[in-house]
Amino acid sequence: MKKKACAMALAGLMTASALAGCGDTNVPAGENGAGTGAAGGATAGGAINVCFGSEPDTLDPALNSAVDGATFLVHLYSGLAKWEQDANGVMQIVPDAATELPEGVENADGTITYTYTLRDGLKWSDGQDVTAGDFIYAWNRAASAELAADYGYMFEVIDGYDEIADVDADGNPVNPDAKLNVQAPDEKTIVVTLYNPVSYWNELLAFPTYFPVREDVVSNEAWATDPSTYVCNGPYKISAWDHNSVITLSKNENYFDADKITMGTINCYLSDDQNNMLTNFKNGDWQFIDDIPTNEIATIKNDYPTEFVVTGQLGTYYVCWNINEDIMPAGSEFANEEYAKAEVRRAISLLFDRNYIVNDIAQGGQLPASSFVAMGLTDADGSQFYKNAGTNSYDGYYDVSADAYTENFNQAVSILKKYYTWDEATQKFTDFPTLTYLYNTSEGHKAIGEYLQNALAGVGITMNLENQEWATFLNTRKNGEYSIARNGWLADYNDPICFLDMWTTNSGNNDVQFGKGAHKNEKSYSMDLTSCGVDIKVDLGTWAETYDVLIDTIKSTTDNETRYKLMHVAEDMLMDTGCITPLYFYTDMYMLDDSVQGFFSNPLGYKYFMYTTVNQ
Amino acid sequence: MSAKTISYIIKRIILAVITVWVVITVTFFVMHAVPGGPFMGEKAISEAAQKSLEAKYGLDKPLGVQYVTYLKDIVTKFDFGPSLKQRGRTVVGIIGDGMKTSVKLGVIAAVIALVLGVVLGSIAALRRNTILDRVVMVLTTAFVSMPSFIMGSLLLIIFAVKLHVLPANGAAAGGLILPIITLSLSPMAHITRLTRSSMLDVLGQDYIRTARAKGVPYLKIIFGHALKNSLLPVITYFGPMLAYIVTGSLVVEQIFAVPGIGRAFISSITGRDYPMIMGTTIILAALIVVMNLISDILYKIVDPRITLE
Repeated sequence: MKKKACAMALAGLMTASALAGCGDTNVPAGENGAGTGAAGGATAGGAINVCFGSEPDTLDPALNSAVDGATFLVHLYSGLAKWEQDANGVMQIVPDAATELPEGVENADGTITYTYTLRDGLKWSDGQDVTAGDFIYAWNRAASAELAADYGYMFEVIDGYDEIADVDADGNPVNPDAKLNVQAPDEKTIVVTLYNPVSYWNELLAFPTYFPVREDVVSNEAWATDPSTYVCNGPYKISAWDHNSVITLSKNENYFDADKITMGTINCYLSDDQNNMLTNFKNGDWQFIDDIPTNEIATIKNDYPTEFVVTGQLGTYYVCWNINEDIMPAGSEFANEEYAKAEVRRAISLLFDRNYIVNDIAQGGQLPASSFVAMGLTDADGSQFYKNAGTNSYDGYYDVSADAYTENFNQAVSILKKYYTWDEATQKFTDFPTLTYLYNTSEGHKAIGEYLQNALAGVGITMNLENQEWATFLNTRKNGEYSIARNGWLADYNDPICFLDMWTTNSGNNDVQFGKGAHKNEKSYSMDLTSCGVDIKVDLGTWAETYDVLIDTIKSTTDNETRYKLMHVAEDMLMDTGCITPLYFYTDMYMLDDSVQGFFSNPLGYKYFMYTTVNQ
Repeated sequence: MSAKTISYIIKRIILAVITVWVVITVTFFVMHAVPGGPFMGEKAISEAAQKSLEAKYGLDKPLGVQYVTYLKDIVTKFDFGPSLKQRGRTVVGIIGDGMKTSVKLGVIAAVIALVLGVVLGSIAALRRNTILDRVVMVLTTAFVSMPSFIMGSLLLIIFAVKLHVLPANGAAAGGLILPIITLSLSPMAHITRLTRSSMLDVLGQDYIRTARAKGVPYLKIIFGHALKNSLLPVITYFGPMLAYIVTGSLVVEQIFAVPGIGRAFISSITGRDYPMIMGTTIILAALIVVMNLISDILYKIVDPRITLE
């Protein structure tokens, strides 16, 4: 009897939990599809189901460094400025919480001061007033070493940041109480002083790291993980958050411009599986997906000609070389080995057919890259920076047009013949040391690696492929324990400096190892900035004596035109080393249902759904 | 319950605790030996920020000290620490969220597998060598040998994409139906085959022949004598199976975008989220150990001939 009772109890328990499970399906408001409105009628204006990423690591504007996180934040917060699409479809920065974006006033010491006035009646989602103090608190918090935010350096342009970032030999802050030079003379006025004029300052104001937060809200460390403690000031607030599943944004009636917001509810499904996203898009459940499986692109272009969208993105996919890797034939000696290595690397770059890579492998409308600073970043006169790079008639440092490939190839072979033994019978080099190409595990990176391997094998160069899991890969590449590696870089704002200052000796992103190891004492770099109007000339100096000085000079140069000239010099120097082999400029691919109107995205890849409507 | 059984259970519990402790220790040191860290990304953070984060989470202390602190926090406070990646969330909170879904998914799938498996297995045994038996056997062979990613994709294409009757996303209403079916098919097939062979074995026993000879009604023989005894191998299989379904549904969670523990586990490893790696490993290891223990004890309860020592 006892046995039976026990078995019955067990069976009962299982059934009960099974039944409990059945009843508890999480259905967010407005789940039933686009345009049906939220259940319970809490919001008007319909609903849209979208997926632009998986569970965000954080929705704290100061801590976020992800593009999908930024898409959430631009819906949840209102900074001093924001991105908006004008009538002609052009993206521009407009005032948001600020009444206007005035010009700065230059001070006697060369610094520049901006004064902003907040709009009347700005409120947080819990009804409290938004004050200038909230912005000042938020900025100091985001810049602090204590918070250690990924994007803390976005405040480096503001006076006072250097003191915040100053650390002693042990890496501890020299002055833990240091603050940014930003003041609130009254509740509605923000006065901020920058070290120098910064051409992308308004863009920074629209960047999520610059969004305001309230001190009493963020004092709870878990504030940004639960709708009940999440207080924001933007067009939307979080009404439900089912972790790893769906985040529901509903219109924030406290937003000053709420009347213009047309979409009532945005159901943001959280998925990192491209195939699952595609299935949900295909069966009509989701109206927007931000990621597409590479092997489906060809079919999708065909099946969804109007719904498959490719737009530009500020980024470059490239191959980086470890500058300390010996690539010369065994036992060989050259008068200027560093120069020889650079020439070899540049020649190898010419062996790659970038049109083949973008058209047959990547297939996402990417553009062959002939420079490191990506397409989309503008020059002093507003033209494309990459078109003005180098001194040749074509754009960039080598010709990437399809019909130039044969000539590039021949030129590469003739350069390499200077250093390596060429066997006429097989049309191959016989003494090129074996290389290893390191990439992080992914089908896409693998396919490109295999192409590069094939291209080199064609001239007798053996390159082995090695893949590592993401975190291991980052570690290996950062420590310079590789010969050639896959790399990529996306800009945070429209200024070429974000592609250039990463290559200074002590930068954490200096994967090439410029100025490190054996390269530290390599005195083979010269630069003459006098033609740019800067009185600096170095003859045969180290990387630190040249490139690092150049970047410092750029950062302290106030004249815009000179600054851009210097940035071209920096890129020339970088490309001259041959350590950077750009392959293509990134594009942003997504799928948007034909029924959706009013959608736009910005050059940084943030998606905007607040002004959308869904036609039934 | 005899004193012997109780002492056996206590022994097993102690062994289970030791097993989990070994898992903790090995995972802890292997995890820290793997290159890369939780604060690395495509864009490097400053050295000061790195130091500040390491100090905040105690990663600047020697490994041995970190290990002792970790064990102490678990034992004394049941504190698995904060997640290093999802800032502001605790490991217990994240695992709790994931387990809610994974347990729901796993238990329903296991119950379905058990009920259908026993019924189909019994029918196949009782109708041995008929068309019915053959059909059941062919289907179960297919289900046992088909990996869940193929089964899942197949169901997804048929029911979500072509027929549009069920959603492809685990978060939607009815979204768990397809993952549950996917998860239950293989264990169901396994239970069917177990029940069938065990039932055939039991039906050939002397006591069944005796019961028949005595004139006991057919149904009573089946339900009263045969079925109960033929379930022994099923019980030993069921406990670990439940644990494996709950912990091993990763592929299915991925295909159907189900917010379960499997996805949290994998992302914690790729992101080097140390406390999350530890937390998920411990929970999953404990689950398997406990389910094994329960199934051993159940075995004894159902079959008194077995002595536990």
